[in-house]
Amino acid sequence: MKKWLTGVLSFSMISMALAGCGSSEQPKDNAAGGAAKGEPQKLVISTWGFSEDFFRKEVYEPFEKEHNVKIVLEIGNNAERLNKIRQGSSDVDLIYLSDYYAQQGIESGAFEKIDRSRIPNLSEIYDIAKAPLGEDYGPAYTIGQFGIAYNPNVIKTEIKSWKDLWSPEVAGKLTLPNITSTTGPMILDAASQVAGSKEFNEDQAFAKMKEANKGVVKYYDKTSEYVNMFSQEEIAAGPIMEMYFKDIQAAVPEAKFVTPEEGGYAVMNTVNIVKGSKNKELAEDFINWQLSKGVQEKTAKAKVDSPVNTGVKLTDEEAKGVTYGEETIKKLHKLDMKFVNEHSKAWIDRWNREITQ
Amino acid sequence: MKKKGLYLLLLPGVLFLTLFMIIPIVMTIASTFFHEGSFTVEGYLKFLTDPYFIKILLTTLQVSLVTTIVCILLGFPAAYYISKLGARKKGILLALAIFPLLTSSVVRSFSWMIILGKKGLLNSSLISIGLIEKPLEILYTPTAMMIGLIHLFLPLIIITLVGVMENIDPDLIKAAESLGASKFTAFRKVIVPLSVPGLIIGSILVFVGSLTAYTTPALLGGKQRVISTFLYQNAITLNDWYMASVIATIMIVITFVVIFLMNKLATKLNPKG
Repeated sequence: MKKWLTGVLSFSMISMALAGCGSSEQPKDNAAGGAAKGEPQKLVISTWGFSEDFFRKEVYEPFEKEHNVKIVLEIGNNAERLNKIRQGSSDVDLIYLSDYYAQQGIESGAFEKIDRSRIPNLSEIYDIAKAPLGEDYGPAYTIGQFGIAYNPNVIKTEIKSWKDLWSPEVAGKLTLPNITSTTGPMILDAASQVAGSKEFNEDQAFAKMKEANKGVVKYYDKTSEYVNMFSQEEIAAGPIMEMYFKDIQAAVPEAKFVTPEEGGYAVMNTVNIVKGSKNKELAEDFINWQLSKGVQEKTAKAKVDSPVNTGVKLTDEEAKGVTYGEETIKKLHKLDMKFVNEHSKAWIDRWNREITQ
Repeated sequence: MKKKGLYLLLLPGVLFLTLFMIIPIVMTIASTFFHEGSFTVEGYLKFLTDPYFIKILLTTLQVSLVTTIVCILLGFPAAYYISKLGARKKGILLALAIFPLLTSSVVRSFSWMIILGKKGLLNSSLISIGLIEKPLEILYTPTAMMIGLIHLFLPLIIITLVGVMENIDPDLIKAAESLGASKFTAFRKVIVPLSVPGLIIGSILVFVGSLTAYTTPALLGGKQRVISTFLYQNAITLNDWYMASVIATIMIVITFVVIFLMNKLATKLNPKG
C-alpha cells in the first residue's frame, strides 16, 4: 500500500517538475522583448576572447554608450560556439567565426540574412571581404595571412617555401594545424601543392601529409598550443597566422615569420547575425561599427586584427606583424569554403585513419 | 511502519538522480537505436567493425589499466603507512594526499608540460647529471598521459584504502604473529584480503576516471586518440551527435562490464567481503 503511494507521489512530482520546466520559458521571452526605453538593451556577442580587454575598451564601450546597450560576451573557440547556436538554446545575437565555421553555420541555417543597406561601411572595405560567403551573410572584418613561423636558433636553413616543412631538418620539431581547425584544410591544400599538383589533388595531398606526419610532434587545435610549444622549444617550426606572431616573438625574440614563396593563405574572420535574434538592427549597427575606419585603425595599430577598411593607413612600423595593404591581400590564396565544407567530413575521417594513427 | 517512512528521506535524492541522470542516460542510449526515424544498430556495427575505432578503444583501455595498476602499487603501501599513524599525523598526510585534487586538471597538466618537456625540469636535470645526452621524448606520448592520470587519481585510491585499512582490527595481526606468521605473511594473509573492498572501489574509481578523462589526454597526449577526445571531436567539431551518443553508450557499457568484473574478482579474493 505504502509502496504504491510512494510511486504515485514520485510520478506526480516528476510530472509537476517537467511541466514547470516547460512553462517557465514564456515569461523570460516577454522580458527580453519588452525592454523599457531608459534601460539599456542587451546585445549578446559570441567571440573568441583573445585581447578581450582591448575590445571591451576600444570597441564595445563606445558602442554601448552610443546605442544605450549592454554588450554581453560569450567566449569559446569556433566549434564550441557554433555548436551552442546549432543546438538552438542560446540567446546570442552576433557571432564572430572564421569563414570555415561560418560556412558550416550557413549550411545548417543558423544565421539571419543581413540587410546590406543598413551597413554603409561595407563600401569602404576590400572587395574580397565584402561577401566572402555570399551576399546574404556577414562580411569579413579582418583578413589574416596564414604563413610559417620558425626558430632560426634551431632551424639553421632558411625557410622559404611550404616545401621546407618537409625538410629533414624540421622533422621532429614540427607542428601542423589539426584538420578540424580553420587552417587545417589550408595545410592540406599546401601539401597538394608541394606534391606538385596544380589543382587540388586529395590523394596526393594525403600522401604528402603522411610523409610529414613522422616529423610532427603534435597537431595543434588552438593557437595558444602552438605558442606554448614554440616557447618551450618542443617545436621549432610550423604554419601559423601572422597575427599571432607577436605572441611567438614575445617568447622567442629571434623567431621569424615568412610568407612562403608560393603565397600564404587568407584566413577571413566573419561576423554574422544569429537566427532568431531580437536585436537584428542593433546587430547590423554593430557590424557597421566593427567595419568603420576608426575601429579598424585601432585594432590594426594594437596589432589585434588586420584591417579590411581601405581607409586605414599604417606606417611600416605599425604594419609589422599585420597583414596589411591591397597588394599583400591580393596575393593570398583563398580556399573555396563551399568546396571545403562539402569535403571536410571525408577529409577529417581520412585524416584520422591515415595520418594520426 | 517507522522504517518505511524513512524511505521518504530518499525521495529528494532519487528524484534528482532520476531527472538529471537516469532519464538523460536512458534517452541518450535509446537515441542510438533510432536513427533517421527507424530502429537500427548500424551505429554500433560501424564502430565495432572499424579497426580505427577498435584501436582507439584498445589504447584507452590500455592506458586506463596501466594507470590503475600503477595507482594500486603506489597507493597501497602509502595507504597502509597512513592508516597506521596517530590521528594528527594521519590528518596531515591525508590532507597532503588529497591536495592534488584541489587544483584543476588543466593546471596540473600544464605543470606536467613544464616538467616533461624537451627543455623541461626532468630532461634538463637528467642531462646535467650526465645520465642521458638527448632529451627523452615523454611529453605528447601515452606515457605522459599516464603520468598525468596517475597524479590525478592516486588520491582516490589512497583515500578509499585508508578508510578500509583503518577498520582492520590490529589484534588480528597480533593474533597472526602470535601464531607464527612473519610480518610479511601477516600482511599478505590478513591485511591484503581485508583491504580488498577498498581496493576494488578505488580501482573502479581510477579505471573509470581514466577511461573518461578528457583534459589530461587532450593536453598531455600527442597524436594518438582516446575515446573521450574522439567523442569530443564527433560532438563538437563534426556536430555528429548520433555518433557521439553511440560512443557514449559504448563507454557506459564498458564501465558496467568493468564494475561487474571487479566485483567478481572481489568475491574471488575475499569470499566473505
